[in-house]
Amino acid sequence: MFGPIIIAGSDRLYELGNQVAGHFWLLDNLIALTLHNNLVKAALLGGCFMAAWFARRHQPEAVRVRGVLIVTLIASGFVVATTRVVSSHMLHPRPFVYSQETYHLDGDSLVESKHLPYRVPLDSASQKKYRQVSGGELAANDLDAFPSDHAALYTTITAGIVLASPVIGRVALAWTILVVLAGRIITGQHSPLDITAGVAIGLSIFTACQAVLGTWLRRIVDALAQWTFRHEALATAIMFVALFEISNTLQDLSSLIDAGSAIARYFQVG
Amino acid sequence: MMTCTRSLLLVSCVLVLAGCGVDDNGMILVVDHSYVPAVTVTTNDGITTPDGILWWRGKLIMADEGGCALRVWNHGHDVVTLCDRSLGILEPEDLVVDGEGNLFFTDDTAGGLWEVDRNGRAFVVAGRSKGLFSTEGIALAPSGDILVGDGVRHEVFSVTRTGKVSLFLDAKRGITKPESMVYGENGNLYIADNHDDVLYRLTPAKKLERVLEKREGFSPETIWFANHVLYITDSKHGKLSRYTPEDGLETMVAFAGKLHDVCGVTTDDQGQLYVSIQDNESDRGYVVKIGHDAAKDVVPLASQHH
Repeated sequence: MFGPIIIAGSDRLYELGNQVAGHFWLLDNLIALTLHNNLVKAALLGGCFMAAWFARRHQPEAVRVRGVLIVTLIASGFVVATTRVVSSHMLHPRPFVYSQETYHLDGDSLVESKHLPYRVPLDSASQKKYRQVSGGELAANDLDAFPSDHAALYTTITAGIVLASPVIGRVALAWTILVVLAGRIITGQHSPLDITAGVAIGLSIFTACQAVLGTWLRRIVDALAQWTFRHEALATAIMFVALFEISNTLQDLSSLIDAGSAIARYFQVG
Repeated sequence: MMTCTRSLLLVSCVLVLAGCGVDDNGMILVVDHSYVPAVTVTTNDGITTPDGILWWRGKLIMADEGGCALRVWNHGHDVVTLCDRSLGILEPEDLVVDGEGNLFFTDDTAGGLWEVDRNGRAFVVAGRSKGLFSTEGIALAPSGDILVGDGVRHEVFSVTRTGKVSLFLDAKRGITKPESMVYGENGNLYIADNHDDVLYRLTPAKKLERVLEKREGFSPETIWFANHVLYITDSKHGKLSRYTPEDGLETMVAFAGKLHDVCGVTTDDQGQLYVSIQDNESDRGYVVKIGHDAAKDVVPLASQHH
């Protein structure tokens, strides 16, 4: 019942957001950096996370903060898995694909899809991508835009930072909303519905994990946090690896798992 | 905290349900805007998952790979089965019809060259015992013999109507999987190899040329020649392309989702294109017409809200 209204509202908001693109070369290139450059996209959030990790030195407040951040990292794993499962079961292209002439299956009939106007950003990556799509070259990740995995993951991390340290959290929140998420709508990577669904999934899993691990399993989380104080160097190294991988939306992890299972098969079968 | 969690879970559910409304299932992106796609035949009409298709005298003949049968669709009539697994066929692959209306087809699992003659009698012309282990592409040679590609032996054979098999192109020529074959202009035979992702051209002097190779996003599944154009389907990348020596390779239509695996291609008397599509996850098949006058079969955007 509300579906068509929500989708229509999302499309309208996308059109408004996309109006920003395609006017200024400098602005479009800066926004493109937030899409394609991990240093710009994720390093600031990673920095905020580390700052929050080390912000409190005195127990028990420091243990509480580290507990929150540990649970945040665990939640982010569930978030990425959830968004990938949902998006792999849905065919929902990125908004810029709908700027082309497309048809979709409705039962056994082909129905002309809605046409969304698209202002092409002036950066070279967006221009190249648009030429490819116009020529019928569709990449696999152009077709599974719902929900936005970036929105879900970065919202989860940001929520953790806010809960651990409200002051540092404000910086992370502003960066996530104004730079990471808005950039994706402006450039036609995602519709507001994709982003909102990603944010909702991220926050749901985050609060569920905080509720479960932060209350019922609190003793385990506290013990883990205490361990990080006793083994500060090792804990910092592990945190670095985790944040490094999160900045890449856990994409290296899945290929690592694939390689691991291939090696296991090699030793089993020969 | 629990109230907040419940509220967020509720919002997530509403948004994901709203997202179900944006699930396109299968999608077609039309690059050449002079064409309009429309679904012509589906599993509901009595087919399973068709591979090779051939338009012949107003009818569409389909090698129904998933249904282990050869079927004929005639507009306005039920789909008719010409032969099925009771004959010994397993996964019919590609087909040709000669000038007298005799139908020949390959089977990549059962192997062999099979025939349904103009009287409807189905039989094997040359089977596995004659070395045809996994037959793929098929073409009608100017001599009247049938050329058959074998994916296991990496060779192309010539088969007479009486079932005599002789080597036409040996494995040393380098074709790994002769998936599809068709004659073009000037007696040139085009051969698609979807293992090495190469399109070959065999001249009448039997010189084998690599026309298209080492191209990103190119793997020829089925090739079809009509109106001076070579049409190429690509099931790996979900594309229908056209090739001419003058213009090169151009994508006409891209396929995605349940419609990604585009297999066979043929043209009718008016030059309209038909492609077969396999949705093996759901065990469903489609034949989609990509024509200039297909608009009448498409639900227009304006009427979707009624």
